[in-house]
Amino acid sequence: MASRAVLLLLLAAGLALGGCVGESSAPGVTTLVFKHSRILGPSDPIPTLLRQFEAEHPGLRVKSESLPWTSDDQHQFYAINLEGGSPGFDVMMLDVIWVPEFARAGWLLDLTPRLAPGETDPHFPSAVAAATYDGRVWALPWNMNVGMLYFRTDLLGRYGFEPPKTWDELVRQVRHIRAAEGDPKLEGYLWQGKQYEGMVVNVLEAFWANGARLLGEDGHLFPQPEEAAEALAFLRSLIETRISPAWMTAADEELSRRAFGEGHAIFLRNWPYALNLFEAPDSPVRGKVGIAALPRHPEGDAGYGSTGGSHLGISRHTAHPEAALALVRFLTSERAQRAMVSGAALYPSRQAVYHDPELTRDHPRLPQIHGLMLAGRPRPVTPYYLVLSTTLQPEFSAVLVGLKPAQRAIREGRQRLEHFLGALL
Amino acid sequence: MTAGQRARRRRGLLLVAPALAVLLLLTGYPSLYVLWLSLQHRVPVFGIAEFAGLGHYAFLAQDPRFWSAVRTTGLFTVASVLLELGLGLLVALALQARPRGRRLGLSLLLLAWAMPAVVTAKLFEWLYHPSAGLVNVVLGGWALNWLGDPRLALPAVILSDVWRTMPFVAILAYARLLSIPAEVYEAAQMDGAGRLGTLRHVTLPLLRQIVMIAVLFRTLDAVRAFDIMYVLTGGGPANATETLTVYAYRSLFQMLQLGFGSAIGMIVFALVMTVAWAYLRLLRREGVVT
Repeated sequence: MASRAVLLLLLAAGLALGGCVGESSAPGVTTLVFKHSRILGPSDPIPTLLRQFEAEHPGLRVKSESLPWTSDDQHQFYAINLEGGSPGFDVMMLDVIWVPEFARAGWLLDLTPRLAPGETDPHFPSAVAAATYDGRVWALPWNMNVGMLYFRTDLLGRYGFEPPKTWDELVRQVRHIRAAEGDPKLEGYLWQGKQYEGMVVNVLEAFWANGARLLGEDGHLFPQPEEAAEALAFLRSLIETRISPAWMTAADEELSRRAFGEGHAIFLRNWPYALNLFEAPDSPVRGKVGIAALPRHPEGDAGYGSTGGSHLGISRHTAHPEAALALVRFLTSERAQRAMVSGAALYPSRQAVYHDPELTRDHPRLPQIHGLMLAGRPRPVTPYYLVLSTTLQPEFSAVLVGLKPAQRAIREGRQRLEHFLGALL
Repeated sequence: MTAGQRARRRRGLLLVAPALAVLLLLTGYPSLYVLWLSLQHRVPVFGIAEFAGLGHYAFLAQDPRFWSAVRTTGLFTVASVLLELGLGLLVALALQARPRGRRLGLSLLLLAWAMPAVVTAKLFEWLYHPSAGLVNVVLGGWALNWLGDPRLALPAVILSDVWRTMPFVAILAYARLLSIPAEVYEAAQMDGAGRLGTLRHVTLPLLRQIVMIAVLFRTLDAVRAFDIMYVLTGGGPANATETLTVYAYRSLFQMLQLGFGSAIGMIVFALVMTVAWAYLRLLRREGVVT
């Protein structure tokens, strides 16, 4: 591990030296560097979009550079480079949970004074909220995600069930369908319980469905500890009662998505990206998958899907803030977001795109997904979100595998956080 | 020492000086910097930068998560090195005994060895899948929850690491076996040694030195292992596979607690140095290195 820290230092030193050299390009041409993760999906629309941008902005060139593969590595890349004051990139793609952290660290350009009044209004309010810290806007929403419930329309239809509104209903439906189908391979409800960020998202959704929060409005941790413990214990009970298989404690998005996609489950919690894969021509569940909001508990007012997605921010160290903002505006524009839907199967942050007649012809579920996203909730918007998540992961995981009672995990998680965050809370 | 010898020596020192300086700069300076960092409470994101003294070390001394990571690192190191050694030697002996499958055997070994840890981890994630994974299919469909059960997760991680690094031991040992002259075996045969006798009194003693070097390398790697558990289990479930390096990574790069993470890093550093030092002493005593 020492070697990693060493690497950090070397990189920082190298970048500091490299920074003095400056950019060499043709006179009168400004080159922007755009850092983003690789875009999956049918066809990557980014190169075409960037050429369009260059055509419309003579004198500007955009170099697009890929980030490391996983979100953790991307975070590490930014942290090392931005802390080292790297001028190596201008525009960056940010996971929504990082924006407050980066803003607090002074790594992002404050966009507030540069934005026109109402400029963020066309985006989902929860996406804008996630990019707002300390009353200022630090990034523009680019694409959007929301946790939702997938169900098998054929199985529910066969027994006359509507998609479940409450968790009790879901459990009853699973019991009924499995008893009647008599297929030992058919699982009930699949989700993500591996010790990683995805599990925290599932736990947060369970909290919200039960009227609990991780972080209260006043910054207090677990303001409703009873309801939070109840929600966590409920997730454990899903495994104990075999509504969910034991391997949920090792499952991430892809593992659970595949099992459902192969037709081995009735319900699944996942993000919208899975929809295209379920509807692919060779998919065993093609035409048999419906989507709905996540269920709630009788006490909770509604089931909330956690929102996610990515934003575009500008490095504080950029030499070309105006040009960078022009690029961010272009890439988050309606035109670019429309291209992202068809080319990359990424969901837009602009609400109007979901009702675009041309797009809904090919993607008929867009309006429904729009509704789910509108009802979604962001994870706690705080600069220390990753501290919260990383500290709580082992505690939540211990509950899911049955090693710790939920109440104790909440109590001990809070104690650890108080040690790390102490005066900040 | 004659004047000529002294001059030669001076010239020699002069020639290695640049390399030595670079080495010092690349290892000495950063190590000291990490040591200094570990005495700070530094969280750049929150604008915190203050002196902490030995505070982080004191916290770690009574931090159950740290001790669990120490235990996991120890178990992982001992188990994976022993298994790699045992299996590696068996495979090397099998290659020696069965020359016909040699080419295929070596190719397979190299393939496993050459694969990046992250790829191996992703591969094993599927092999361990409770219902669809090959491991459970081979075991006759006992749906063991390999990566989701805190009791099975560490053995599962160890096995995947053994699969990846056993070839290193096997290839080293096999290379040594090839260099044993046929006469040695003929002599043993003439003295009336059976197959087991030859193995015990001829082959294994000749493998001794190479095995010791393999153990040194593998132990140092195992103490620092990171990718395999990070990708396969993320340190879970319930932290059952969180080693010191994973804990340090999370503290440094996710929580951005530079001081705290550096303190864990220093402990790993000290651990690696101790292992290396103990082995070098041993190797010197055995005459493997001088």
